[in-house]
Amino acid sequence: MDLNILAGAIMIAFAALGAAIGNSNLFAKYIEGIARQPESQSKLFGQTMILFGLIEALPIIGVALGILLLFGVI
Amino acid sequence: MELTPKVTFLGLTFDLAVIFGSLLSAAIVLIVTILATRGRKMRPGKLQNLVEMVIDFSRGIARMSYDDRTAEKYLGFTFSLFLFILIANQLGVIMMVSAEAHHAIPSLGITEELLKQSHEISWLKSPTADLNVTISMAVAVALFANYMGLRKSVKGYFKHFLSPLGVLHVIEEFSKPATHAMRLWANIFAGEVLIVIMLTKGPIYLTGLPMLAWMGFSVFVGAIQAYIFTVLANVYIAQKMSSDH
Repeated sequence: MDLNILAGAIMIAFAALGAAIGNSNLFAKYIEGIARQPESQSKLFGQTMILFGLIEALPIIGVALGILLLFGVI
Repeated sequence: MELTPKVTFLGLTFDLAVIFGSLLSAAIVLIVTILATRGRKMRPGKLQNLVEMVIDFSRGIARMSYDDRTAEKYLGFTFSLFLFILIANQLGVIMMVSAEAHHAIPSLGITEELLKQSHEISWLKSPTADLNVTISMAVAVALFANYMGLRKSVKGYFKHFLSPLGVLHVIEEFSKPATHAMRLWANIFAGEVLIVIMLTKGPIYLTGLPMLAWMGFSVFVGAIQAYIFTVLANVYIAQKMSSDH
């Protein structure tokens, strides 16, 4: 079997794992914040989305490099 | 992976799909802003309202990192950066122009062995789905930030690197533009590639619904990444300009 494909698959799997842990922490705290202060929802939503974008960055870099490995570009 | 036409000029390889994509998004930004500002009225029409909303939004971004007077100076930079990246990100989701090729075209870099892999040649894609475009934008921001730091005070700029942990700061100077560029590129690239995979590998009645969901998510991610790129560019410049550095 071509090891590049295995490497790409492992990269994508661990990127998904990391993103899942990070996002679950973030959104759990977001829901907690809304439950405590429902009036701050609109304010919290914007902040959460920025942090979501920042958290999502590193896993998606892993996914992009994994895709490049899967297709044999690098 | 779809092919793109490439042209070699002065020893450098240019990707025509990326060039057409960035030209088209620049033209869209130019035309929209010119149309919105030509007949300005006290009671704004629909288009003027929209562009005013975007300008207010970018003013909010600029005020997050600078004080109010400097923020006005950087409003044009923030506004054009945000609008260009926003439109460039959506280009690959909404319209991907591709053509079929059955013969090799050596002048466009399409050879026989590449044609064996795929017949699709894409003529238009998101310019931000190419690492070269985002790297050049991030490096331009980093160079400008360092120039502003040097212009503020040369002594203060170098004192920063000669502190006991100066090596870390030197590494940071290189890792900042690298992650800045990769963050935008990887998001848009992964989005585009997944759309292409779902379009080509598998019957449309199985992949149609997930593809629509993913396209909606791509539009959302494109908007968020445009916002984050602009905020980070302003933060990096403001970091170098602030006096406590």
